Amino acid sequence: MSVRIEFFGVPRHRAGVVGLDVAAATLGTAVLETVRRFPALKEFCAADGALCPGFLANVNGRTFVSDPATPLADGDSVLILSSDVGG
Amino acid sequence: MSSHPGYHGSYLRIDLTERRAEPIAIPPHVLRRFIGGSGLGTWLLLGESPAGLDPLAPAAPLVFVFSPLVGSPLTTSAKFAVMCRSPLTGRINDSLSSSHFAIAGKKTGHDAFVIVGECEKLTSLVIEPEGVRFESATELAGLSSSGAAEQFQRALGPGYRVAAIGPAGENLVRYATISHDGRHAGRGGSGAVMGSKRLKAIAVRGDRQAGYAHPERLLAYSKDLSQRSFGPATEKYRELGTVSNLLVFNRLGTLPTRNFQSGTFAGAATLAPEAVLSQFPRTRASCAACTIGCEHIFHFGSGSDSQAVRMEYENLFALGPLCGIADPEVVLKASAACDEWGLDTISAGGTIAFAMECAERGLIDAPELRFGNGAALLAMLDQIAHRRGLGELLARGSRAAAQEIGQGSADFAPHVKGLEIPGYEPRALQTMALGFAVGTRGADHNRSGAYQVDFSEAVDRLHVGPAAIPLAIETEDEATIMDSLILCKFLRGVFDDKLAAMAEMLGLVTGWEVTADELRRTAARIVNAKKHFNVLQGWTPAEDTLPARFFAEALPDGASAGANLSRTHLQTLITTYNLARGWSAEGYPTAGQVAEFPAAN
Repeated sequence: MSVRIEFFGVPRHRAGVVGLDVAAATLGTAVLETVRRFPALKEFCAADGALCPGFLANVNGRTFVSDPATPLADGDSVLILSSDVGG
Repeated sequence: MSSHPGYHGSYLRIDLTERRAEPIAIPPHVLRRFIGGSGLGTWLLLGESPAGLDPLAPAAPLVFVFSPLVGSPLTTSAKFAVMCRSPLTGRINDSLSSSHFAIAGKKTGHDAFVIVGECEKLTSLVIEPEGVRFESATELAGLSSSGAAEQFQRALGPGYRVAAIGPAGENLVRYATISHDGRHAGRGGSGAVMGSKRLKAIAVRGDRQAGYAHPERLLAYSKDLSQRSFGPATEKYRELGTVSNLLVFNRLGTLPTRNFQSGTFAGAATLAPEAVLSQFPRTRASCAACTIGCEHIFHFGSGSDSQAVRMEYENLFALGPLCGIADPEVVLKASAACDEWGLDTISAGGTIAFAMECAERGLIDAPELRFGNGAALLAMLDQIAHRRGLGELLARGSRAAAQEIGQGSADFAPHVKGLEIPGYEPRALQTMALGFAVGTRGADHNRSGAYQVDFSEAVDRLHVGPAAIPLAIETEDEATIMDSLILCKFLRGVFDDKLAAMAEMLGLVTGWEVTADELRRTAARIVNAKKHFNVLQGWTPAEDTLPARFFAEALPDGASAGANLSRTHLQTLITTYNLARGWSAEGYPTAGQVAEFPAAN
């Protein structure tokens, strides 16, 4: 199952890329696979793939999620962004 | 005057007509109940504002307010509030600014300045512990706010800090700013109020210290807070600045585009920080006493034409996508022009975007004024600041312009209570829609942080229900206390419990045993006072709404495609909010709530 990770703000700045495709069925596995590919992001999440305070995940531009067990569907986009949106 | 740690215990009332200044004691219980900044300013404004007084009349007060934390080692505390009845909205206006003016202003030995009256000719004011001086400013006429401040500061010598208005303020543009050190008390037209008094600049200098109740503990706390302010919660502001919001908002379909006709902008990528950085050098800076360092200053032009401008999301959105502009150099030039002339970028961009739509619909005769025409945008900013041509009308804001243009244009004039809407699409951020509608100074993202609720798991931002109300109130209360202490909102993410942390800081400075619950009650009191001010100045429940466009047109594209609002649903949210505030269902504070404030004269 392929999921598109899209970086915004600090995560994009740290990763140095706009995004990547990963194989994952849940938010947690998608985040962990992303961190494995981009070690510069390792402080963004806990061991179970939960994002640390300071960062948010959003599925397909519609729904904000945080539970690492959140299921993902093939073709979903997961946006990883700084939690302090606005200002 | 008796003083209390953190305070001098008085405000300086300056009558420009009489050329007289008098310190007036502030009762200690008022300080505790209204704190400082926006809260204390509301209390002062209530006592000095006769109902129905024209905001540009000589007797109308212009209030500068400091706070107990100003001058302390607490990071981001070098801030001041400017308060007035807005000439743009007719409602309460509190705009905040930063840096050395706040520190030097408090060192004059006063917690606030209340300025009334008017000068016979353009004048500058010098405020020091020894008293006030009035100096001719005719040689500063027409200068930019920064040019005037530099010239005046040079003439005065070291130690002075200056806030000034630009040509827009002198010309009474209803959304003119007051500027200091490149930062603006931006929204609502306080610069026009200063201009109406023929006051070009205010210089402050002093050596008076208000003292702290627990200096050693305060220093230790401040060191720890500074350390935490370097962490991930503020990394976005430090590394990228608020301009990084642009691509996020575009992706979420919440980026107001072409006068709120869309929530996405095809040219967003060319305005993204990465793209702008690849073309224009950037330097960073920070306000006085700030460890976050959010200012990202872009340099453009060359030789004698080179300029530098501080970029934020709000000026990027308002002078870019909202006007259909994708050329970053145009946006930089337009932002620099607003800085130079002293124009609020959100209201300037919103009003011009409205005029562009009017022109495209054939409602006004302005052939060049089209979405995406950067030259027309720059020319119109010039016309507005100097009140020439169509700029004469647009200098009064989109609400007044729509009233004159007619032909149904009020339906898409992008304002609430006359204040142009900032860069948050209300159909796709519906808690923010509520925040805009009930905001005491109009459409406002600083006094209500309701968008934080939309950008969370707590609500479905496209279908917000009553469960969002207490969360929206919580963000408004937190903002109210931050604006009264005053602290920068970019610190928000540093705290686990914001009100508890702010209570601790206030306690360390003042010696009061303050709790989060007390601050929650204080926030409610200040919000009540602002609402009471508006009621006295003619507020009616009908003002708490959004332009008709937001009820009639769904968003056409992007991740929020199809999002719409119904008037009935928004009204249900507003009524629920009013009742949760302890007001009547229509939004009037109770007699018991009103009894806590001074009567207007």
